Amino acid sequence: MKSKLVSLTLVGTMALGGAMLTACSRGSSGGAAAGGSTAAGSPVKGGDLTIARAQDAKSMNNILTFDNSSIFIFEQMLEPLFTVTPDGKDTQPLLAEGFTVSADQKTYTIALKKGITFSSGAEMTSADVKFSIDEDTKHADTGWGFINSAIKTVTAKDKYTVVVELKHAWAPIIADLALFSNAIVPKDYGGKTMEEFYQAPVGTGAYKWGEWKKGQYLKLVANPSYWQKGKPYLSSVTWKVVPDSNTRKLQVQGGQVDINEYPDWSSFKSLGTASNVTAKTFPSTELDYLAFNQNKKPFSDVHVRRAISAMIDREAIVNAVLFGNGTPANSLLMPGVPFYDKSTPGIMKDDALAKSEMAASTVPSGFDTTLLIPSGDASKLSTAQIIQGDLKPYGINVTITPLDPTANHNAQQNMQYEMGLSGWTMDIPDPDEWTQFAVDPAGGAKSAYTNYNSTKAIDLNRAAEAEGDKAKRTEAYSQLQKVTAEEAPFAYLYYAPYAYAFSNKVHGFNVTPLGNYPIMDVWKSN
Amino acid sequence: MLTRLKFVPMRLLQAVPVAFGVTLVVFFLVHLIPGDPAEALLGAQATPERVAALRQQMGLNDPLVQQYWHFLVRLLHGDLGQSYIYQTPVLGLVLERVPATLMLVLYSVVLMLVISIPLAIAAASRPGGVRDHVVRVIPLVGLGMPQFWVGIMLLLIFAVTFGWFPVGGYGETFGEHLWYLFLPALTMAISLSPIIIRSLRASMLTVLESDYVATAKSKGAAGRGLYIGHVLRNAVIPAVSIVGVNVGYLVGGSLVIEQVFAIPGLGSMMIESIFARDFPSVQAVTLFVAVFVVAVGILTDVVYTMLDPRVDLTHRSDV
Repeated sequence: MKSKLVSLTLVGTMALGGAMLTACSRGSSGGAAAGGSTAAGSPVKGGDLTIARAQDAKSMNNILTFDNSSIFIFEQMLEPLFTVTPDGKDTQPLLAEGFTVSADQKTYTIALKKGITFSSGAEMTSADVKFSIDEDTKHADTGWGFINSAIKTVTAKDKYTVVVELKHAWAPIIADLALFSNAIVPKDYGGKTMEEFYQAPVGTGAYKWGEWKKGQYLKLVANPSYWQKGKPYLSSVTWKVVPDSNTRKLQVQGGQVDINEYPDWSSFKSLGTASNVTAKTFPSTELDYLAFNQNKKPFSDVHVRRAISAMIDREAIVNAVLFGNGTPANSLLMPGVPFYDKSTPGIMKDDALAKSEMAASTVPSGFDTTLLIPSGDASKLSTAQIIQGDLKPYGINVTITPLDPTANHNAQQNMQYEMGLSGWTMDIPDPDEWTQFAVDPAGGAKSAYTNYNSTKAIDLNRAAEAEGDKAKRTEAYSQLQKVTAEEAPFAYLYYAPYAYAFSNKVHGFNVTPLGNYPIMDVWKSN
Repeated sequence: MLTRLKFVPMRLLQAVPVAFGVTLVVFFLVHLIPGDPAEALLGAQATPERVAALRQQMGLNDPLVQQYWHFLVRLLHGDLGQSYIYQTPVLGLVLERVPATLMLVLYSVVLMLVISIPLAIAAASRPGGVRDHVVRVIPLVGLGMPQFWVGIMLLLIFAVTFGWFPVGGYGETFGEHLWYLFLPALTMAISLSPIIIRSLRASMLTVLESDYVATAKSKGAAGRGLYIGHVLRNAVIPAVSIVGVNVGYLVGGSLVIEQVFAIPGLGSMMIESIFARDFPSVQAVTLFVAVFVVAVGILTDVVYTMLDPRVDLTHRSDV
């Protein structure tokens, strides 16, 4: 009797489960849209915030580490002189009081805030700042130091003043100094080696080092001597590794974690249907695009590139890949980036334009080509299939070539592809990080591996880099966006927002367009 | 009894070339995986110069044979190398992960036996009856359901809806481990039980028809005493082999289950390491799993020998 009961229970369980899953997946709309983390009442002190994420951090070394899983964590401990504004479009002083710039735009004198201490208790001074920036610059080959390429010298003028001298006028310098790799650490790593220091880094941030069980969780605890009085609100923050997206979803719904980082778009809407969970999107700086290898025919022909750009149904891609959570892209720059020009005449789906451009091209009756994508990426595969279908009526037969992600990256870098899908997000609130990479062959990436070489685009980008006047810079970037829309080195596809799901107990959670999230303002209601 | 276990030291010695073979195959196979650890570490936006500098630093430019030789020399000194991802010794990382996987596998075996033995007895005691038919259908259902789906269903029902268990994780104390690992162990047990039930049922039916059971029955043995004392003890021997073989399968299954239930074991480490092209970690995990499977094989033979006095593996030509 008992054995029968066990068996029947199992079958019943499975059937019930199936029914519940179906019910879950049918759910839609709900709280998926706005709201969520806005403050409800006064902030409450204490509590542990748990964030579930697919991948563990790799290293706490802010100079040598490139993955967001690590960056979003060490940013809570290590602060730079300047930081990004909440809208992600500008910088504001953080450890710096402010700065002045010389008439030739080549010397920046930065005043430091006084009385700021590291979590170790030592005071932060200009000597620490000089050490930190020099250390970053020193690691240009293996780390982020390339961001400091315009810096000639950093001098500690007095205890609270730092002078940064540039090799040439360089407008993005303050944004560069706001990058996490330029965060301030104690001089000479407080007497440790670099490797020893980053086992338990010391910074001026709202949180300090706690514990890291690799592959399981990483915990930071509140810095009780944090210089911004009253903050942080939480006692600790724990990033838990939960590789499976379904499990992350269930954990936030079951109240086991507070925040689900990057839920899948396919389950995003249904996540918000749980009464205790808010699913929210935040504007990002992500641009997904189709790259043309201009080393290969017929992609060296601007008419071919323009024609293909006019054939693609971007709305269909947004619906299939992002389940409607995104917008078709019209420009080289993204809406979350300063100087984005909404009125850029980007090429959108236009049958007449596609036909006329094909007729004017070297291959009016079409051709066979390949589209390179990273294997195992369902979003990229869907995008590729839509593009394949869109191009076929015009006589362009596309073979989709999936390659392992790193092999795919290799092929693009070595220009061994014809068309490829790629994307970009920004790390600093200045477009130069991307435009230098994307349109200037001297930027070290063969114009984002397209071999695009346009004198107009290069001149405009270099003018914008050197221009201190904001209005003139705006004009240069608008022109650059117009030129790149016309010359179509890429077919811009879509702008994707960042997705998060969090418990309704979480307040003050904001993600900047750069993707990072300052946790010092976050609190949890009881 | 001890004399019958003489084969154990020889089997342990034989495990050495097996482990060596595994290192050889795994080392060269992981290097065949397309993709570059330096690129995986630096991310998609890395320039070729930075990738080249890191490759040099990681020793990836050395000839493969030389890299393997260095790996073997280090291995003989008990050093499995540095993890590319975490830049810390791999051995420490693996040892941190072993307990979770070991406990998950053992827990699964226990639950599998708890599920299988009563069901097999129930089926074999009335062959052809309703009870037997039900028990023979259930295994088909169990075999047909993918493990990850079963896992998610169990989570949805018992963790989210009823809140009886945590949604993934491993816990801190032994008691918490048992609580956290119940659903994942049950998931693995459900997928393997069908094989054990079928095997046990079949061998029990064979035993039931044997002369000595007829003799026992004629002497008045019946009911629970007959099944436990005479039938099960003899019928369980083939099942022991099947359990032993399937422990290897369970370790493989832990790759999926540890992902679904966010258990920090060797399986999740393996997947994480493959995606990151963290070759030293992949090699270390494979080596540990290989040694574990070999050890289970030896243990299975020990149990087999103890259960059946007629079995003597000392003189087996293939031992």
